[in-house]
Amino acid sequence: MDTCYRNYSRTTCFLYSQDHQNIGREPLVFLPAPFSNEPPTGKAHLKQCEQMTLTRRQKRMCRREPGLAETLRESVRLSLLECRYQFRNERWNCSLDGRGSLLKRGFKETAFLLAVSSAALSHALAKACSSGRMERCTCDDSPGIQHREAWQWGVCGDNLKYSTKFLKKFLGQKRVSKDLRAQIDSHNINVGIRAVKSGLKTTCKCHGVSGSCAVRTCWKQLSPFHDTGRLLKFRYDTAVRVLSVTNAATGETELAGPRRHGQSHRSTDLVFLEDSPSFCRPSRYSPGTAGRSCAKDTSCQSLCCGRGYNTAMHLTTLSCHCQVRWCCHVECQTCVREEEVYTCKNT
Amino acid sequence: MLFLRRLVCVCCPSAPAGSVLDSRPCVFALTLLTLLLQVVVEANSWWSLAMNPLLIPEAYIIGAQPLCSQLVGLSQGQKKLCQLYQDHMQYIGEGAKTGIRECQYQFRHRRWNCSTVDNSSVFGRVMQIGSRETAFTYAISAAGVVNAVSRACREGELSSCGCSRAARPKDLPRDWLWGGCGDNLNYGYRFSKEFVDAREREKSYAKGSFESARLMMNLHNNEAGRRTVSDLAHVSCKCHGVSGSCSLKTCWLQLADFRKVGETLKEKYDSAASMKLNLRGKLVQRDSKFNPPTSHDLVYIESSPDYCLSNQSTGSLGTVGRLCNKTSEGMDGCELMCCGRGYDQYKAQIVERCHCKFHWCCYVKCKRCTKTVDQFVCK
Repeated sequence: MDTCYRNYSRTTCFLYSQDHQNIGREPLVFLPAPFSNEPPTGKAHLKQCEQMTLTRRQKRMCRREPGLAETLRESVRLSLLECRYQFRNERWNCSLDGRGSLLKRGFKETAFLLAVSSAALSHALAKACSSGRMERCTCDDSPGIQHREAWQWGVCGDNLKYSTKFLKKFLGQKRVSKDLRAQIDSHNINVGIRAVKSGLKTTCKCHGVSGSCAVRTCWKQLSPFHDTGRLLKFRYDTAVRVLSVTNAATGETELAGPRRHGQSHRSTDLVFLEDSPSFCRPSRYSPGTAGRSCAKDTSCQSLCCGRGYNTAMHLTTLSCHCQVRWCCHVECQTCVREEEVYTCKNT
Repeated sequence: MLFLRRLVCVCCPSAPAGSVLDSRPCVFALTLLTLLLQVVVEANSWWSLAMNPLLIPEAYIIGAQPLCSQLVGLSQGQKKLCQLYQDHMQYIGEGAKTGIRECQYQFRHRRWNCSTVDNSSVFGRVMQIGSRETAFTYAISAAGVVNAVSRACREGELSSCGCSRAARPKDLPRDWLWGGCGDNLNYGYRFSKEFVDAREREKSYAKGSFESARLMMNLHNNEAGRRTVSDLAHVSCKCHGVSGSCSLKTCWLQLADFRKVGETLKEKYDSAASMKLNLRGKLVQRDSKFNPPTSHDLVYIESSPDYCLSNQSTGSLGTVGRLCNKTSEGMDGCELMCCGRGYDQYKAQIVERCHCKFHWCCYVKCKRCTKTVDQFVCK
């Protein structure tokens, strides 16, 4: 984990390599800054590629593609924000402490982390392609779109096809070892990519005579990342526990669940190896739930693990009595409100 | 008690009269024992009234004097009150029993489940630690006494009180009658205050000592319990107009169901405030950024001991052998209840009533069905 921290403008680390010698380098986010408006120029991206912890092959791909460095950072930010949002009411709230140890084990949380990181990467890549931030790919030009007159207006859909192909090369998923953890990780990464794929919808805009749908422009658009995050959280809730089974006929190991009629897990289910600990007390997997803010009637019971909560009054300022002034700004007053804030006790 | 008597018998004959050397170790042992006994005597409490099967009230009156002093666990002041109000004792015991039962219901899913250990100190050494659980127990037993004595007053069982003479509430609609026979909350509150707080009031400790902090904590929690009962008491009405319509209504003050009191106190337990002694000898909050506790909130001075493992010195019984719920994520789930030690799975036969039928007239007859369920027991 220490190798990921650099002095020069914080860096990110990736766990996208399948060789597990690199385990311990996990997706971190320190870069909330959005994209700069200028197109990627010059050699700035080379330095960024060097700073990130990638394998040699990944670094080579990064150097060849100027927009990739920014896209990687954007995807890490996206995945962390989404993870924190989805787990805001759970005991494990996707904090950065303990992330390294968590990724070494086969918990449900590890499965979710891998899935959401790969989903964020594929989402960010597709959007970067259509926004023109990448040199080697442009808008989606698959024949599925309505041709007709719509194609003349230069419709630009999110290029998920390129994103998926690129990811497969980037993450090196062609060579999957027989190791059980590698199989599980690869399966979970695929679940993440599939979740993004399932969110791809054809959106149309009607602009015919007086707004009729005689003339339509359609394109393929990715659903907002919140929807993908929600879908992955649902998969986390319904994750399936598996163990390794050697297929007697072929002699290969494959994933199988506990004895049950039918298939143990589908290709869209997240899989995990062992039961998670309760993240109540500080451990090497999480900082514990002491000091977490909770809602008195709903989440304090489960979050605080029976330790009870402290009540404090908190002054919040918010804008109120907003009015539109001609022309064209909104003027708001600031109201100060006192509300009760509940935080979990630590003993 | 028996041990002390035996020691006395052993010590005295062995020491020859006038010899100082031989009696010194004996004296030392005796003083040590009395000190120890003092600690144990503190642990004995009026809760023991709930454990002993109580006799009928008349038995207290016949030959009353010896009976009151025979009750274990009462302090001097409480014994005096016992002699003055003999008929109340039965209801105090019932109140304590209600409190303990409600405590066991509210804590049935947690590691410490308010279990009673023996008949004299009732909960064991756990109550000597000023934790949140102790606070809850004091509050709910005080509330139980208020409840029981108020109900007994209404039912005419006690000679010194009758139906409630509370004033008519101001927000009652004009055409409703105020009367009936309400629970005498006022008397119950005052009697509970006198009796339950008697032990704390008759002692005084040095300012700033641990015992004084514990005394103030106990008094605060008893008051919180009593106030909860009085806050939850509500106006209850009965319609008796023409053919049962509500054109004529009689209303009175009624105590809330004790389950609600238990739930309210459990919420207070969750948000209890941690206190410490300041330089002036008063209880103040440990961390001043949190809201200060009101007289309705529970306070505690020490953090709870570890209830996972059984420990003689703290009095914790541990969670070995407790039932846990495999599917639950809360405190009764097997992960948290068994503290990570794991659990065993058993199949148990449960007998319950089923296929109940109403027969004319007027009883219900049920069959008994046996069901096999999986039970999970902590290791």
